[in-house]
Amino acid sequence: MILHKGASLIAIINDTDSSNIRSIYNAVYTLGYDAEVIKYEALSDKYSHLIIPGVGSYQSALIKNLSQTKEKIHNYAKSGRPILGICLGMQLFANWGEEGGGANGLGLISGEVLKLPQDNGLLLPHVGWNTVKVVKSHPIFKGVKDNVDFYFVHSYHFICENNANIYGYTDYGEDFISVVGQDNIIGLQFHPEKSQSNGLKLIDNFCNWDGEC
Amino acid sequence: MKYCTNCLLPETHETIEFDEKGVCNICRQIEYKKDNIDWDEKFKDFEKILDVYRGKNTYDCIVPFSGGKDSVYTLWMLVKVFKLKCLVVSFDHGFYRPKLLDNRERVFKQLGVESIIYRPNWLTTRKTMLETLIRKGDFCWHCHSGIFAYPMQIAINYKVPLVIWGEPQAEYTAYYSYEDTLNETEEVDEKRFNRFVNLGITADDMQGMLNDPEMDSRDLDPFKYPALRDLKKINYRSICLGSYIPWDVKKQVQLIKDELGWEEDLNAGIPPEYGYEKVECAVQGIRDYLRYIKRGYGRTTHLATIDIRNKRLTREEGKKLVDEYDGKRPENLDYFLEMLSLTEEEFIDIASSHVVSPNENDFAQIITGPKLPDRDKWDKSAPLSRKYTEKKLKEHGF
Repeated sequence: MILHKGASLIAIINDTDSSNIRSIYNAVYTLGYDAEVIKYEALSDKYSHLIIPGVGSYQSALIKNLSQTKEKIHNYAKSGRPILGICLGMQLFANWGEEGGGANGLGLISGEVLKLPQDNGLLLPHVGWNTVKVVKSHPIFKGVKDNVDFYFVHSYHFICENNANIYGYTDYGEDFISVVGQDNIIGLQFHPEKSQSNGLKLIDNFCNWDGEC
Repeated sequence: MKYCTNCLLPETHETIEFDEKGVCNICRQIEYKKDNIDWDEKFKDFEKILDVYRGKNTYDCIVPFSGGKDSVYTLWMLVKVFKLKCLVVSFDHGFYRPKLLDNRERVFKQLGVESIIYRPNWLTTRKTMLETLIRKGDFCWHCHSGIFAYPMQIAINYKVPLVIWGEPQAEYTAYYSYEDTLNETEEVDEKRFNRFVNLGITADDMQGMLNDPEMDSRDLDPFKYPALRDLKKINYRSICLGSYIPWDVKKQVQLIKDELGWEEDLNAGIPPEYGYEKVECAVQGIRDYLRYIKRGYGRTTHLATIDIRNKRLTREEGKKLVDEYDGKRPENLDYFLEMLSLTEEEFIDIASSHVVSPNENDFAQIITGPKLPDRDKWDKSAPLSRKYTEKKLKEHGF
């Protein structure tokens, strides 16, 4: 059963002006939802859903006043409202990322972000369409067939401390974690906003998600 | 040509594939429909969807309606069984036959529904027919685009978010499967529209193709699929009743005859016992003849395959019907040619340029079928001018 509930207002974070938020904004808009592009500090109760996109590096994306931002976003997360991280936005959920000499993340999902292995002869960054194997069902994959392709651009990957947070893998020489989640938080290593109809479906599902698993 | 070893579809049928036993994927889909779908569960799903929408808007749902067997049955079910207040939207393609109009009158009155009957501009319609006939070997763009786009416009304008269609596509082709039905992934949306309904030609494309300074571009507005955002803003759902109850044409035809006095009609190129099929269109026979030229099979094959899959005909009985009825030149081709100012030779040239390999035609063997009884009552106003048709033929190298 697909029943639409619908987000009331979606916050899209663009904290550093380095993120490419236009395509995610357009996707959300096309799907009939309303969104505002804001900085972390403007997060408030008026938003029903939060999207953290991300193009850039771990260091450049983060995060001027880390402790304040962390507090803000952890409080937001505690409210149970859904949070979606895309690509770097998903990686920022971790405690720490090694990119650019290392930086702390938001610490929403326990883990680290490391460079993809380079000993298999495959080039970095990992760019293009690749298959996502969903290993644990989640509301945002509802109505999306298993083992379909999504669009990736990245060189780093999420290592989860707890297996319970792993929702999907993708094979690039070897399996890496491409979907992470915890309670009302879901992170996608690929770009649903650049992944045609399956990606659009994920975004739509996210916007319809009440944060319960 | 290679044919399915179970039904009678040839390898030229769109989306067809054969398995190692030579059985086509459409036959396998129908097996899936019978074996793998819990239709009691689907029925409950449908009621859950209706509960979301019932009583919330000026109408509970929109029912796109031609007056043929499928839309009449759909409307009967929604009004009588599911007790919905329906707004019926009928996109009149300009070729409704007299009996269809009588049927429609009867159905609307008895069911007590409210209706919008919409007719697009004929002067433009006939131009789109010639355009897509030449480009695609299929003149039905205006009908199919209008039927599927216009009710969605009405859904937005009247703020009625639920649109309910009849049979799912999985019944006839493999653009969608009954596995999609199970997972609710066949919705009647813009993706489906662009995938096969509109021949890959949007209304904006059509304006460029016609490139006609005499035409007001707004004439093509009824054929435009609305923006997804506008549809999502009203929280739309656009679904097939046949995704929630198992579609069975023969049973359903009997029901609408008994309950509503719906009447059959004779049609070109099919046996009289299939008088329920495609009664809504005067030029259906021409479309089927084009398919015969392009793909080597006609509507009798289509009808017989359905009965074979439902175990109502053996393959041999079906084959006999096909041999007798498929592939005749429809007598009303003359009417069609007159409306588009084409010669038969030009029509054959155009059709032949769209033949799907490995089908081949021997036109010397083709004989003309019988005249339809209502044929002299069809309106022949405002055919295309020969000048316009000649210009278009020349443009495309005919």
